[in-house]
Amino acid sequence: MTDINTVITGLGIEGNQVSVPLLQQMLDLLPEIPMIKLLISFILWKPFFAALICPGFATLGILLLFFPWIERKLCGRIQWRVGPHEIVWWLGGIIQLLADSLRFLFQEVIVHKDAHRPYFLQFPFLTFIPALLPLLFIPAGNIVAIETPYAIQIILAVICLFPLFILGLGWASNSRFAFIGTVREAFMYFAYEVPFIIAVLGMIFLYGTSDPVGIANKQSIWGIILNPIAALTFFIAAAMATSRMPFEIAEADQELAAGPHVEYSGIAFGLIYVLCYEKAYVLAGLMTILFLGGGSGPEIAGLGDLSGVIWFLLKTLIVLTTLFVLRTIYPRYRLDQGLSIGWGAMLSLSLIALALSIALAQVGVI
Amino acid sequence: MKKVTVPEQSLGEKVVKHAAAIKVAMKESVYPLTATVFYPRERKKMPDNFRGYLMFDPDKCISCWECAFVCPANAVQMKEAPNKRYYPTVDYGKCIFCHFCVDSCSGGALKTTKIHDVAYKDMDEMLTLTEEMIEEPEIIREDKKLVEYEIDEQDLHLKRTREEDTLFVEVTPPVEIPMVSQCIEPESCLGCRICEEMCESGAISSIIERQVVKMAIDRDKCTGCGLCVKECSMQILRLVRK
Repeated sequence: MTDINTVITGLGIEGNQVSVPLLQQMLDLLPEIPMIKLLISFILWKPFFAALICPGFATLGILLLFFPWIERKLCGRIQWRVGPHEIVWWLGGIIQLLADSLRFLFQEVIVHKDAHRPYFLQFPFLTFIPALLPLLFIPAGNIVAIETPYAIQIILAVICLFPLFILGLGWASNSRFAFIGTVREAFMYFAYEVPFIIAVLGMIFLYGTSDPVGIANKQSIWGIILNPIAALTFFIAAAMATSRMPFEIAEADQELAAGPHVEYSGIAFGLIYVLCYEKAYVLAGLMTILFLGGGSGPEIAGLGDLSGVIWFLLKTLIVLTTLFVLRTIYPRYRLDQGLSIGWGAMLSLSLIALALSIALAQVGVI
Repeated sequence: MKKVTVPEQSLGEKVVKHAAAIKVAMKESVYPLTATVFYPRERKKMPDNFRGYLMFDPDKCISCWECAFVCPANAVQMKEAPNKRYYPTVDYGKCIFCHFCVDSCSGGALKTTKIHDVAYKDMDEMLTLTEEMIEEPEIIREDKKLVEYEIDEQDLHLKRTREEDTLFVEVTPPVEIPMVSQCIEPESCLGCRICEEMCESGAISSIIERQVVKMAIDRDKCTGCGLCVKECSMQILRLVRK
């Protein structure tokens, strides 16, 4: 016992633990079992908890398993359809994505002979780097993996890496549909990236800090009320970035088959399919931090640090759902319309938002 | 040249329209007007006069061939039964479920059911013989709920109840108008005796009197099927009310 306690102190993980009063009694009983205290201390160590459970791998995994189902079901309801239904029909087809992923897993990954084979096979996996890295900097409540005063900038930088990997996918595919989709993606990339960055910069100006935990704490009034223009710009940019329906220009199903990833099949396609959801999750998390007060909310009794996690997840889910339900409301814009929205309306909006933020910061609202 | 352009709208109008679209989406996500019936587990309530699978009662059949004559898809064919009468068979590979045969049946021998899921393993099975039409077909019922469409002033709603619909309906038979075959111009009769051969009930008989064939119709035996009327080469036979 003493050995393990020394190890825990030696690792420096003792002080920075997720405290859950409700579970504390149970956790106090567990150290009777050898080694379990080290394990639990390690899991409840805040940076590790953030990376592994929330908002990291476990949450992302569960989200990827069930969120496409939620999206399809909800969109189906709005459009007077049913959505996934037959697999476990008494639960409304809830394990649809599990079935799909099993199918993807056992399908052959076809590499056609014109493709650049190494890159074609590498890029679906490499794209996970920009998808997963931002999760290290996004705090759920006060639980964050890497605390740095430049977190928002790092998240932005990594998100902006994303389209490069998509371009890589399209280039490695070496097919005309993939090529057209890739070029359209590149066009859209420039159209949304500039207003997106300016909107986030405006919020950083407003809060005077780019530490996400600090930003969440500073929002006694939510950012969406302080600067709704920035929120709107951010939201539209997020819809463009995840190429959701009104701006599904890059992967227009009807015209371009699937855009940059038309040549992919099997598990490689499965990975690309969930990529969009990962990106949406990261962007929704960022929106929650910048505009919806992060993990702030009424304290849920007995949950301690997990209270913030639950509020963060709830807000993120609402943002995600709103983002994905857009496809039921709007038809797709043409490429030129998308570009004119990006370079025209959204750029002006983001500049107005920046000006508004600077004005608010000068007045000293926060 | 007239150029088609986007209708001009002010920012306010655009915002109002966006808001209206979002409002509709929110309303539908909470209370959708979906009209889907989950078919094998639910069954839509069909009206009693639903045009479905056909059933047949040989006792009421007068073998008038009317169903076979009227069938636009040529799905109803008459087959000779062991009792020398002709009864209809239905080929569901051809049947278009128009139910002209049911409408034309004067005795109410053909009747409808609410069975709409008629399925067969191969083409040969689709020819349903008379004896198969007499008994109720084997159906697998998976439905637990009955769905009814309710239409109020604006919208269509589904009303689900936990009951099973009876697929076999008892239809009141049509009021039978007794008809009888009558020769309107006996002097034009050629004496070909086609009518006698046609008649399945043996109502028409012939007597040879001084090398002239004289036909006689027994009004009591005549079922009024009208086959002799159709086949008479001189077209001197008519169906009249008894």
